Amino acid sequence: MSAYQNLEQMKGDFYTQKFEAGKQDGTLIINMGPQHPSTHGVLRIVIEVDGEYIVRAEPVLGYLHRMHEKMGETQTWGGFIPNMGRVDYGHAMAWNWAYVGAVEKLMGIEVPERAEYLRVIMTEFNRLTSHLLWWGAYILDLGAFTPIMYAFDDREMILDILQRPSASRLTYSNFRVGGLQMDFDDKCIELMKTFIPHFRARLPMYHDLVTENIILRRRVEDIGVIDQDMCRRYGCTGPVLRGAGVPYDVRKDEPYSIYDRFDFEIPTQDTCCSMGRYKVRLAEMEQSMRIIEQALEQLPSAEGGHIVDKAPKPAMKPPAGEAYFNVEGGRGKIGVYVVSDGGKVPYRIKLRAPGFSNLSAFAEAATGTLLADAVAILGSLDLIIPEIDR
Amino acid sequence: MLQALEGVATQCVAKQDPAVTGHVWSVFLAPGQIVKAARKLCEAEYSLEDIFAMDFEEGFLVQYHFNRWTINERIVLRVLVSKDNPVVPSITSVFDGAEWHERETRDFHGVVFEGNPNLVPLLLAVEDKDLCPLCKTDKARKSIKDVLALGEVVSCSAEVEALFAEAEAEEASDA
Repeated sequence: MSAYQNLEQMKGDFYTQKFEAGKQDGTLIINMGPQHPSTHGVLRIVIEVDGEYIVRAEPVLGYLHRMHEKMGETQTWGGFIPNMGRVDYGHAMAWNWAYVGAVEKLMGIEVPERAEYLRVIMTEFNRLTSHLLWWGAYILDLGAFTPIMYAFDDREMILDILQRPSASRLTYSNFRVGGLQMDFDDKCIELMKTFIPHFRARLPMYHDLVTENIILRRRVEDIGVIDQDMCRRYGCTGPVLRGAGVPYDVRKDEPYSIYDRFDFEIPTQDTCCSMGRYKVRLAEMEQSMRIIEQALEQLPSAEGGHIVDKAPKPAMKPPAGEAYFNVEGGRGKIGVYVVSDGGKVPYRIKLRAPGFSNLSAFAEAATGTLLADAVAILGSLDLIIPEIDR
Repeated sequence: MLQALEGVATQCVAKQDPAVTGHVWSVFLAPGQIVKAARKLCEAEYSLEDIFAMDFEEGFLVQYHFNRWTINERIVLRVLVSKDNPVVPSITSVFDGAEWHERETRDFHGVVFEGNPNLVPLLLAVEDKDLCPLCKTDKARKSIKDVLALGEVVSCSAEVEALFAEAEAEEASDA
């Protein structure tokens, strides 16, 4: 008899024990995470394996839960903006935008044209950093170390550009109700204009280096099928949905701001697999660059400043009512629903995180695949755990 | 008229201005009708955006956001449940993704979703499951009519109208 058998903790916690209740004969239950490197920190998945094959899987969330929705109910409307940068460190500006957009809707504020352009440019640059971070980390998860170096090289240049008008490099919170905290300076616009041709020349190298690599293709092609029907049942959006062949993008289908002024495409793939989602994201980077180019061109003729005159103070009091506003983030549809009772503090803030719905489809997609494929599927969903746990 | 929900016994159907609230339709339902409504919306190719609750004096208002991929027509389904017995049937049989949203709502407000296959804490720790972190204090809690507006009513039962009655009477006296 082993000395460990009497230890209470060997039984596992509540979730393991509950999961174990449905165990079949001859299978093994393992915990992947919350410290597993490919789960990016704090996602835990309880998996039942039969040999190398996954019989059942159940994500266990909450290891990075910070209750942003409660924080929203305890501070002023303006004071909640920095929280948005912390909800999703990958595409912080889209979250900023979703929140201030909802409050602007509630208060009936019209943002100056120039501010709209600045928002579009910054959010699209931030989308590039989000996809680059995902690209590098995904290939790293699959065992190739070099690509993340290339990705971070380019990402670093964007961060240098974005820190000029936002004063931060990761957890941006430079959006304000009515506009932005700062305008671009000339140097910033110059850097942006030189970055686009540079990055456009780099993208083919990404494809040469990784996309056509036979090892990658064997790992991701036909792995983790999430089709249209699954997307609808689970509420998946973003590249997961577009990887299933549905050209749904909030920027086109529920146009907000000035996105209807730009000529860009919605890349889709019909394969529904991890490779499809991979290709969609890479194609989106090119589209983001197209939007940035057009926006930079039109920026000098835009009217107004970077923020509306007499912009509301942080302790603003929006009129009683409700407003739902959504934007297209790097991971999908970001929705913010705000309710005001007319006071200084929000009555209710609901954050709809795209990663939350995307991850809920994982258990079904992973059933029947190899354990090694679980890593390929998880990575292809582009998970940012703070956004899922909120 | 809202064709997708034909055949569902609604308590109130109102049109809202999407430029103001983001919703096109606002629908009040009895808890017993929610599964039928979800099935109808699923057949009409709607997808689920989120489920959450709000704490009001009248009870917990559970809200479901639905939208389509083709035409933007966001519907919000609202189910008012009493605080003594906050039970709503689960719609996981229609939308699998609802499972997590319902578990989250159970964590934050203590609303129980009957029929959810796995109604255990999702974001909160197991020992904190009865914490109800988003429940309001008596002082902060408001009445539905002070916060929400009904919109342009298409059909409405007396029950729901009564929820908003006083606010409308006040507006009339202001005018």
